Amino acid sequence: MIRRAALLVAAGAVWGVSGWLLWRTTVPSSLELPHVDPHRLFTAAQLHAASSYSTVESLLMWGGVLAQIAALAAYARWGARWARESAAGPVGTGMLLGMLGFALVWAAQLPLSVVGLWWQRHHGLSRIGYVTFVFGDWFALAGRFVFLCLALAIVMGLARRLRRRWWIAAAPAFVGLALLFAFVDPYLLGTHRLADPQLQRIAGQLERQEGVGHVPVVVDRIHDISSLPNAEATGIGPSRRVVLFDTLLDGRFTTGELKIVMAHELGHLARNHIWKDVGWYALFAFPGTFLLALVARRRGGMGEAEAIPLALLALVVLQLVALPLQNAISRHMEAEADWRALVTTRDPKDAIALFRRFVPTTLEEPSPSTWDYVMEENHPTMAQRIAMAEAYAHAPQRAARSSNFFSYSAHTESAADVVVAACSAQTDVKLCPGSSTTGRSGWTRAK
Amino acid sequence: MHQDHPVKLVVTDDLRRTRPRVLFTLVLAIPHFVWLFLWSVLMVVVVIANWVATLATGRPAAGLHRLTCAYIRYATHVNAYVDLVANPYPGFSGEEGAYPIDVRLPEPAPQPRGKTFFRLFLAVPALLMASALGGAGGGGYTSRHGRSRFYGAGARGALSVTCAFLGWFACLAQGRMPKGLRDASAYSLGYTAQALAYLLLVTDRYPDADPTAMLDGVGRPPEHTVRLVGDADDLRFSRLTVFFRLLLVVPHLIWLVLWGVAVVVATIVNWFATLFRGTPARSLHAFASRYVRYQLHVYAFLYLAANPFPGFDGAPGGYPLDLQLPGPARQNRWKTGFRIVLAVPALLVNSALSYGLWAAAFLTWFVALARGSAPWGLRNFSAYALRYQAQANAYLLLLTDAYPHASPLEGAESPQHEFAEAA
Repeated sequence: MIRRAALLVAAGAVWGVSGWLLWRTTVPSSLELPHVDPHRLFTAAQLHAASSYSTVESLLMWGGVLAQIAALAAYARWGARWARESAAGPVGTGMLLGMLGFALVWAAQLPLSVVGLWWQRHHGLSRIGYVTFVFGDWFALAGRFVFLCLALAIVMGLARRLRRRWWIAAAPAFVGLALLFAFVDPYLLGTHRLADPQLQRIAGQLERQEGVGHVPVVVDRIHDISSLPNAEATGIGPSRRVVLFDTLLDGRFTTGELKIVMAHELGHLARNHIWKDVGWYALFAFPGTFLLALVARRRGGMGEAEAIPLALLALVVLQLVALPLQNAISRHMEAEADWRALVTTRDPKDAIALFRRFVPTTLEEPSPSTWDYVMEENHPTMAQRIAMAEAYAHAPQRAARSSNFFSYSAHTESAADVVVAACSAQTDVKLCPGSSTTGRSGWTRAK
Repeated sequence: MHQDHPVKLVVTDDLRRTRPRVLFTLVLAIPHFVWLFLWSVLMVVVVIANWVATLATGRPAAGLHRLTCAYIRYATHVNAYVDLVANPYPGFSGEEGAYPIDVRLPEPAPQPRGKTFFRLFLAVPALLMASALGGAGGGGYTSRHGRSRFYGAGARGALSVTCAFLGWFACLAQGRMPKGLRDASAYSLGYTAQALAYLLLVTDRYPDADPTAMLDGVGRPPEHTVRLVGDADDLRFSRLTVFFRLLLVVPHLIWLVLWGVAVVVATIVNWFATLFRGTPARSLHAFASRYVRYQLHVYAFLYLAANPFPGFDGAPGGYPLDLQLPGPARQNRWKTGFRIVLAVPALLVNSALSYGLWAAAFLTWFVALARGSAPWGLRNFSAYALRYQAQANAYLLLLTDAYPHASPLEGAESPQHEFAEAA
């Protein structure tokens, strides 16, 4: 008993120290964000459009989550009966049950997804046809099936061999896979070379200033399916890329604004955010797989196919519970990338102009409610980003806004502090959690 | 499980072919093509008239029915001649009993008006299947770039064309049509005749794709060393797995590709071993056998010939549609040395059958989703195509030197002779 408690404390300590190391940031702890009144920066019409769009989008998102949980709860109750449709042995049957669970979730969410598409099309944010969307979604399901089968083969194979302690081996295996996917992800994107020589020159300058070495800046052509401007940093080591969506390059944004975007993405790479993302993933993987193992024991353990429907439900619930913390981590890294962009470009004016332009083009609320902020926002709000740019602009002259002044002042607020702070934060200056996708760091919240 | 179809294929062919007739088959058939085209144009008017008559009286008009039957028989005779399924030059009247590949058609009988009214739409699945197998004579109307064109020749099915192409060389060399190719083509013609009979209101009975029923009375080929085993009567399907079948099989397809890469390497090594020793290496033979069996399981699942989700190991006895494979036995070195070249005709037939397999799976998908069970005929056709595919793979991967048999009929332990040969 004592030994187990000691082990638990030691594991908690390792987790805490690792989290603290990953949480460190170059954003100065002394930085005070000024209050930003959205009505000062945006017209009433812009704020109303963003608010009404976001409200419906949020309702659709939570409707989708409820549909997912309801479908998986029913599947956890009755899904094991489909095991008789398999001649594949325990692991193969587990794969079948896992895929059927995902398929049912897809079917349950489809109506809301279609309504969501209609809403985006209604606001001119999406250009995908309904048939293309449904069939595209259908085929995307096949990709999810493949990864699910791989994960289940690992988990069930280990569970059948190691019994109750499978999770100790499974967590590092998944971290290894996350690293692998983080590396290969850029090669799977159908991107094109950045053609604009002026932007190429700017990218070269920024690379030198950020000290990241050569990182190809490429373009992803999405204008025929979406009007949303976005960018992302992806890959690790030799596979690193900065991806600009071609919707950024359609003339709506000035060169100075595009410079901020590129500096932000290079900032992610300079601060090793992809590696940190994998690191956070590792920190969540161990307790996550342990909790899954605990739940699955109610149905004979993860080595039995009958446990899979329940394990799927548990996985989704765990992800939902962890969502606020994941969002906080993501926002924390995005804030650091914003800061790097300001320090590198020394151009808060263009940064503010860019963030202001993003509200009417993405219909993102500049200052959402606390609930939305905690559960949905994996980037700082536009108000926060503008506040940071204003804080940088008004920083004391003696600091000369030099990169040295800010670069080495680590922000040591713990993740737990931030979660607690989020619950009582004002809507204009919030520092709160969000979800990050391992292997990529985007420019804005993906819609 | 099976009821006799009113449209019956009658095969009295003796497999012998005259070489000059084979050499000039297409040229000699030109008058028949012209006559078939003209008759097809006339049939458009006849069928419309018969459709109205059947709707009004509840049964086809006797005179129009006779003309339609003669047309179907004639089209079958001409196609049988062109596809080398029979040897003699056919007559121009479509007379019953006058040709070695013939069709027995029913007398006019009452037909439900609902089925008659929607006949053109109801026939679409059968025509899809027929176009993948045999194809029908007649014309087609299509539009391209705003211009309309009329095509006199009807589409030809992949299976019958492939069998005719390969049979042409065999007939010239041997003066005989290989039984497997003849049977496969005859089956295609029989199905096409049933589809035409349904479309043209000769019968309201839907075409039956079951090869065994279609070739009832035709001698079975010798038993092959690669055989299908399993529960033939299990037609039950889970609707949920049917609906997501194409996606559920994706992990299997990936595993199949990965395993296939290893099998190619193993087969190259085994080729050398078999060439020098005369017998395949036991371990490599077992490895490739598992792969071929696994491939059958996966494709049976994909093409809806079987219901359960298959295992990933190709173990014998674990799947309702299973494969019996021979152990490593002595093989002819010449056949081993030129295996890739020798396998080409079998691979062509396999490729042609795959069109039918896709069509059958596509149609089965809808039926299984609606009824929770597969249609007997389509499932048996799929089993035939999968069996041939397994035999072709076993041949190519050096599991046996027995050539794949294209006949849709299962092999018999003691081969039955064609009645003409016996006579």
